[in-house]
Amino acid sequence: MKIEILKEIIKKKSSKEQFAVLTNLSNGNSEIFEFGKPLSKDFENYKNEIENYYNLKKNGTINGTQIFILNYIKPIEVIIVGAVHITQYLIDLIKNFNFVITIIDPREYFTTEKRFQNIKIINEWPNKALEKIQTNSNFALITLTHDPKIDDPALNHALKNKFFYIGALGSKKTHENRCKRLKEAGFNDKEINSIHGPIGIKLGGKSAPEIALSIVVQLVSETNKISLKSRN
Amino acid sequence: MSKSFEIILEKANSWIESNQKVVLATVIQTWGSSPCQVGSRMIVNEKGGFLGSVSGGCVEANVINECMELIKSKNSFKKIEFTILDENAWSVGLACGGEMAVFIEQINL
Repeated sequence: MKIEILKEIIKKKSSKEQFAVLTNLSNGNSEIFEFGKPLSKDFENYKNEIENYYNLKKNGTINGTQIFILNYIKPIEVIIVGAVHITQYLIDLIKNFNFVITIIDPREYFTTEKRFQNIKIINEWPNKALEKIQTNSNFALITLTHDPKIDDPALNHALKNKFFYIGALGSKKTHENRCKRLKEAGFNDKEINSIHGPIGIKLGGKSAPEIALSIVVQLVSETNKISLKSRN
Repeated sequence: MSKSFEIILEKANSWIESNQKVVLATVIQTWGSSPCQVGSRMIVNEKGGFLGSVSGGCVEANVINECMELIKSKNSFKKIEFTILDENAWSVGLACGGEMAVFIEQINL
């Protein structure tokens, strides 16, 4: 692989787009594939097969050829509302996975850089902050403030924009009240029941790192479910 | 799902910037059960330093040696195949009973 390709992969990864890297195993040549862009002589004869693998996000050697394709999948975007103690542990665990994180919290004393290094933080109310982000079903929302005036607008936004995962922190009682408010806001039972609340899998712990772990497990599990669906 | 390949490629780039020769190893095919999926990667530098993984530890040492040999040789790439472990021999193999192919390639300046 040429160093230019390596540098381009690193650059492209940060632009969050889907692409693939092709390698001709018989001569070692490799190049970056983007849908619709012309291929070089090494690969142009296999255009259809390459596009097929790309669309299925499948990695491997294309049958009967010496062409290897490795897909770089668009990362899932995770919006965390609330820059609280649990969030610090959550960030620590989540960074090993292919997620792009944004933290939203209007409370300045929580969102200091000292608490969250190298993480995108929007220090505004969720409805204002979410106006600036183009969201879709590739997004996940985790609300951690259990304060309705901060969490609710974000939950409304996530339900309307069909986030694939929505999880909300709070006791069963808090969640019941939350569901009532969402119902009053016009959401149906199916939409409201799609919210994971209380958030996280049953791990049996109450400390901040344990809650963070239970949230990450649930998020990863739900993310794997959708990536399996998109393959079938 | 994992972010490790991103970290690996950035590390490869930083090794090259500090004038080290680097080989990229990629799992290109697996048969039967094997611990790492196709696309798993590892980088190796001329000193034998490595990052990432191509198996659960079964064949890493062998791949690292192959990568260091590749740096010394005139070739820029090589395909290595690993088969089922012979349990009676202290040889390299996959304890899980799988087979795999690894493509190793130099990062060329």
